[in-house]
Amino acid sequence: MRYKLGIDIGGTFTDLILIAESGETTIHKTLSTPEDPSVGFINGIRELSEMNDMPFEKLVQAIDTIVHGTTVATNALLTLRGATTALVTTKGFRDALEMRRGIREEQYNNHYRNVEPLAPRHLRYTVNERIDAEGKILQKLDEKELLLLVRKLKMSKVESVAICFMNSYKNAIHEKKALQYLRKNLPGIFITASYEVLPSIRFYERISTTTVSAYVGPIVANYFEKLQQKLREIKFTGVLLVMQSNGGVVSPEAVCKNPAVTVLSGPAAAPTAGAFYSKMLNYRNCITVDMGGTSFDAALVIDNQCITGTEGSINRYRIALPSLDIITIGAGGGSIGWINEGGLLQMGPQSAGALPGPVCYNRGGELPTCTDADLLLGYLNPTFFAGGKLKLDKKKAEKSIQEKLASPLGLSLLEAAAGMYRIINSNMAQGVRQISIERGYDPREFLFIVAGGAGSIHASEICKELEIPMFLVPNVSSIFCAAGMLLGDLKHDYIRSYYTSFQSMDKKKFLSLFKEMQEEGLTTLSGEGVNKNKVTYQPVIDMRYNGQYHEVQLSCNWDDILNLRFDNIFETFHHEHNRQFGYSLKEEGTEMEIINLRLRVTGHNEKPQFLSKNTRRISASDAIKEHRDVYIPELNKMKKVPVYDGDQPIWGETIQGPCVIEKITTCIFVSEGYTCKVDDWGSFLVHEKTHSPARLKQAKLSAHAN
Amino acid sequence: MQIDKILVSLFQRAFKSITDEMSISLTKTTRSPILCEAKDFVTGLYDAEGRMLEQTENLPILSFSLGPVCKVILEQYGSNIHEGDVIIHNDVFSMGNQNNDVAIFKPIFAKGKLVGWSAAKGHQADIGGAVQGGYNPNATEVWQEAIRIPATKLYEKGKLRKDVWNLIFANIRLQMVQEDIKAQIGACTLGERRLQVFVEKYGLEVFEAHKQALFDSTEKMMRSEIRKIPNGVYEGKSMVYYDGKHKGTRFPIHAKISVKSDQIVFDFSKSSPQTKGFVNGTYTSTCSAITLTLLQMVNPHIPHNEGMLKPLTYIVPEGTILNASWPAATTFGNHLCPQIADSIFKALGPAVPDRITAGWNHLLCSLFTGTHVRTGRKYVDICFLGMKGGGGALKGNDGYDHIGMIDASGGVLDQDYEMYEIQTPHLILQHEYLCDSGGAGQWRGGLGTETKIWLRGNDTTMVVFGDGDIEPNYGLFGGKGSVLNKIELRYKNGKKIIPLNKDIILGIPDKTLYYQIAGGGGGYGNPKKRDRNSVLRDLKNEVISKKAAEKIYGLKTASKRKKP
Repeated sequence: MRYKLGIDIGGTFTDLILIAESGETTIHKTLSTPEDPSVGFINGIRELSEMNDMPFEKLVQAIDTIVHGTTVATNALLTLRGATTALVTTKGFRDALEMRRGIREEQYNNHYRNVEPLAPRHLRYTVNERIDAEGKILQKLDEKELLLLVRKLKMSKVESVAICFMNSYKNAIHEKKALQYLRKNLPGIFITASYEVLPSIRFYERISTTTVSAYVGPIVANYFEKLQQKLREIKFTGVLLVMQSNGGVVSPEAVCKNPAVTVLSGPAAAPTAGAFYSKMLNYRNCITVDMGGTSFDAALVIDNQCITGTEGSINRYRIALPSLDIITIGAGGGSIGWINEGGLLQMGPQSAGALPGPVCYNRGGELPTCTDADLLLGYLNPTFFAGGKLKLDKKKAEKSIQEKLASPLGLSLLEAAAGMYRIINSNMAQGVRQISIERGYDPREFLFIVAGGAGSIHASEICKELEIPMFLVPNVSSIFCAAGMLLGDLKHDYIRSYYTSFQSMDKKKFLSLFKEMQEEGLTTLSGEGVNKNKVTYQPVIDMRYNGQYHEVQLSCNWDDILNLRFDNIFETFHHEHNRQFGYSLKEEGTEMEIINLRLRVTGHNEKPQFLSKNTRRISASDAIKEHRDVYIPELNKMKKVPVYDGDQPIWGETIQGPCVIEKITTCIFVSEGYTCKVDDWGSFLVHEKTHSPARLKQAKLSAHAN
Repeated sequence: MQIDKILVSLFQRAFKSITDEMSISLTKTTRSPILCEAKDFVTGLYDAEGRMLEQTENLPILSFSLGPVCKVILEQYGSNIHEGDVIIHNDVFSMGNQNNDVAIFKPIFAKGKLVGWSAAKGHQADIGGAVQGGYNPNATEVWQEAIRIPATKLYEKGKLRKDVWNLIFANIRLQMVQEDIKAQIGACTLGERRLQVFVEKYGLEVFEAHKQALFDSTEKMMRSEIRKIPNGVYEGKSMVYYDGKHKGTRFPIHAKISVKSDQIVFDFSKSSPQTKGFVNGTYTSTCSAITLTLLQMVNPHIPHNEGMLKPLTYIVPEGTILNASWPAATTFGNHLCPQIADSIFKALGPAVPDRITAGWNHLLCSLFTGTHVRTGRKYVDICFLGMKGGGGALKGNDGYDHIGMIDASGGVLDQDYEMYEIQTPHLILQHEYLCDSGGAGQWRGGLGTETKIWLRGNDTTMVVFGDGDIEPNYGLFGGKGSVLNKIELRYKNGKKIIPLNKDIILGIPDKTLYYQIAGGGGGYGNPKKRDRNSVLRDLKNEVISKKAAEKIYGLKTASKRKKP
C-alpha cells in the first residue's frame, strides 16, 4: 500500500493527514515545536505510524509524497521576528523601502503609523552605481565599493542581506556582481537580489518583495535544511513538496531560492480545500476561515476558483508575487488577553503560540489566552484535549485570568472569560467582513467553511454577528489545510520584463522568453517527478494601450502564443479592458504594448479520494459521553449540556443545540438555537433552528445564482 | 419598512467597494502620471437628487465639489436626463473647484427610473489657456487659464456628440487628455453597471429606505463627534505669501468657528479680499478644504456620505480670496488648503488640544513640461515625489514622514522611480529623508525629503506653485517648527536659479540639476521630554543629527552614558 502525506505546521499545532491508495484516511494533530518545527514534523509521522499499527520505518518507506505547508515565514512577518536584515541599494534611494511611496492608508487618521521597515534605516546601505532606463551603465559598480560594503555589513552583524538596484529589471549586471561578491565574502549570511526574486519593473514593488524574501530567508532556509536532513535520517525516499502562496506546490530547493513564495504557504491550502468541499456539496461559492493558534485566515472561493492576485501584502508589507487573496489577522487560540490604556479588554494580536503557549498547557505560559478562556467556559475538556494527550490545567488558567484580567477590570472570573470569548469572536467577524462585505459580497450567500482546531468553538458567534445562517465543519476541519495541500497541483510562476509595443516587437525574442520560462518550468517540474504530459501552461501578458501607465494581466491561450496569433490576443484584451474598466479603444485602433510576460507552469498530480465511512452507524444519543457546564452566550451564563463523542459513527444524525461535539482533533460548540446535521462523510452542518428551511434554501440558491 | 441593520452596513461597504473599484479602474487606465501614479482624482456615487452616497477621495481637495456639481446638472437638465448620457464639467463658476479638475457624470437608471449618478473627476494634464498644464502665474482672468466647460453632454442617450467633443478638445493641447477623459467615462460606466445590479437586486424601495438609514446613522456619528468639542466661538489666522504678480504681498486667512451643541459653523468672512492674480479659491475648493480638515479631527471611520455633511455650515462670502468673483483667475485655489487647515487647527487648538496637529508641510511643487528626448513625445509631470514633506505631530504620535500636504494626507503616491524614468527623460539622483527636517518635539514632526533630479531635454519648462518657503510650519506646545521648502535649479554653466513660490521658468538647458527640499511637519510638546529611546533611535537612523540630539533634545552624549 502506498501513501500520500499532508503536513501543515502552524504556530501552535502540526496537522497531518495520511491518505492511502485505498482512500483510507488518518488525520492527526500534534503540538508544534517552534524552536525547531522539523521535530514536530517527525513526531507527527511517528505518531501516525502508531495510530495505524505500522512500524515507523515501514510507513516512511511507503510514503510517495509529502506535501508540506509551513507558517515559518508567515509568523516571522506577523510577529516581526525575522532575520536582522540589511538592504543594499543604489545611492540616493536609501529610503524607498520605508517611504512606501508616501502612502498613508488611513487618510484621516493622524494616529495611524507607518509600518516598521523590515530593514531599519541604519541597516540600509547605498552604493555608487547606476543603470538607466534603457539598461545602459551610467556609473560602474566598483569593486572598492563592495569591499567597503562587506566591511560595514560584517560590523553590523546582520543575518541577511537584500540587494535591489535601480533599473535592474532591465540590466541586472550590477546586482549579479554584488550578489556574487557578497556571497563569497559573507559566508553563512543569507543574501538575495531582486533579479532572482521578482525581475520586473517598478522599483518599490521589487525592493519591498526582495526585502521580505531576505527577512524570512534565513529562517526558511535553515528550516528546510534541518528538515531534509531529518528526512534523510529516517530514510524517506519519496518526494517532498512545499505549499506556496499561489495555492500550488514546489520543491524545497525552489523555495530556498525565493523564500517569499511561502509567506502564505499554510493559509493558501484552505481555499484550495474549500473549492474541493464546496464543489462536493454543490456550492459554487464559499468562505473558508481557519483559526489556528496564532492567526485567523479568511478567503473567498468564487465559481470554485481560488482568487489569485499580485496586489498582496501581509502586515502591510508589500509582496508583489502571485498569491491567493487571503486576509490574515492576529487572532487564535494563543491570542493573549490584555487591558489597554483606556482600561478596555483586548485580545491579541500577540500570541503565546505553542511555547510557552496558553497558561493551561502548563508549559510556562503565564498570560491568559483565548484557549484558557475556552477551557473556563467549558468548551474544552481538560482531560480530553488532543484526545487526552495534553492535560489542561484549569486551576492555573483560572488564576491567570483572575489576576491579569478579572481583578483589574473588576469583573467576575466568568465575566472576564466570556468577555475574552466575545472580543476575539468580534475580531474574527471583522476579518470575515473584510474579505466579503468590504469587497461587495454578502457573506450570507456563501457556504461558510470552518477549519482549524479552535474555529468550531467560535464559529456560531462569528456567524451570528454577520447573520450567516449556517456553517460547515468538514470532517477534516482540524487539519483542513493539510488536506488542501494534497489537493494542490505543482505550480511555478515565472516573469520576464519585456517593454515593447506590439508593432515594433521582436517576435523571436517574444517567443524565446516564453520558451525560456517553459524550459525552466519543465526542468523544475521534472525534478519534482512530474511527467511532461501532465504539464499545462498558462501564459499571461501584462499589456496596455500605448501611453497608458498601468497594465492589464491578460490570461492568454498557450497555442495563440506559440503560433503568434496576436489578433486573438488583441481581441481578448479589448474585451477584458471593457469588462474591467468600462471601455475599450478597439474602434480607435489604438496600438498596444507589453510590459511583462508571465508563465504559470502547472504539473497536475493525482488527487486522493476521500472515503465515506458510513458503513456502521450509531444513534446520536448513544454517543453522549457526559453532561457538563458550558457558557451559552445567548443566556450569558453557564448551563449543563450534553457532550457527544464526535469520533463515533453518528453519520446522518441530527443533533440539537446547545451541546458540545468533541473529537480528538477538534471540538464543535452548537449553541442554543442551532441544530447540527452530520453528513455521510462525517462533516457537520450547523444551522439556525428557526431560519433553517427557508434561509438555508435561499443561501444555497443564491450561492448558485451568484 | 423594517430596516435591516446588517444590510445598512452592507450598503455602506458595497458603495465603498464600487467607488474603490472605479478608482482602481482609473489608476490602471489613465495615461497622465498625475492621474495614474499620483492619483489626483476622485470617484463617487450620488443618489438621484445628487446626494453623496460614497466617495473614494484619493485627493480630498477635489472631492467635495462633485455633489454640488451634480445638483447643478440636475437643475440645468431637469427631465432631459437619459440613460446613456455622459456629462462633462469643469466650470469654477458653477461649483467646479479648479479648472484642471474635470468631472464626468453618468446618470444611473434601474428599470427606467433615475436612481443615482456615478462620477469621476481628475486633474487633467492640460486644459487649454495660456500655459501648458494650466498653472499660469500671470493670469488675471479665467480665460487665461483654461477653457470653461459648464455642464455639457458629451453623449446623449449613448450616442457620442462628436461635434461637442471636437469643440472641447480643439482647445486642449495634449491628445492624452482625450484618452484620460475616456478612462473617466469608463470608470463611470463601471460604477453605473455595479449600482444598477445592486439596486435591481434589492429593489428600489429597500435601496431608498436603507440609503436613508445610512445617511441618518452617519449624521448621528458626525453630530456626536461635534458634541465632543466644547461650545464656543474660536478664531484662528494664517498667511498666504505672494499672489504670483506682486512681490512681497501677503493675504491673511481668518477662520471663525462657532460650535453649538452638535452643529459647527465655519465662517471665513474676515479673510482677505480676492487677489488680482491666480491665488484665489473657489467656493467648493474652500468647502473641501474645511471638510477635510475637520475629518482629520474626528473619528476616522465615519462613512463619507451626505449624512456626514449635514451638521456642517460654511460661510465663505463671494469676493474673498477663498471665493473669488467671476471672472477671476483661480487655478491656485486648491493650494490654499494648507493655510485654511492651519487657521482651523489654530482656532480649535485651545478647545481640543488632543485632536489637532502641529503644522503640516505646505505644498511647494513644480510641474515640468517638455519633449521626451528618447521618444519625441510631449510629457507633463507634476513632481509629486519631490514636494511631499512631513505631517504635523500630535499628542501621542510623531507626524507622518513624507506624507505630503494635508489636502492629500497620504493619498497621493510618489511616482515609481523606474516608471518615472521611462515616462520622462529625467534621471532621479536622490530621493531621501532629510536629516533634522522634522520639527523637534516630544512628538517629532514628520520628516521632509531631499530630491535631486537631472533634467534632460532642451525645451524643459518648469512651473512652480506653492508656499512654505517663507514661514516655517508651526510647532505646538513647545514643539519646534520645521525647515523651509526650497527649490533650486543649478545650470551646467554654474548659474543658480531660485524661483519664487509662484513662477515659470522657460528654456531650462539640458543636464540642469533640479534640487528640492520639502520641509517636515511641526513638532508637538517640549523636545526635552521626548522618550529617550526614540531620540536614540532617530539618532542611530540619522534622521536627527548628533548636534540636534544634544542641543535640542537634551540627550547626554553617548560617551557619558553607560548604556542606552
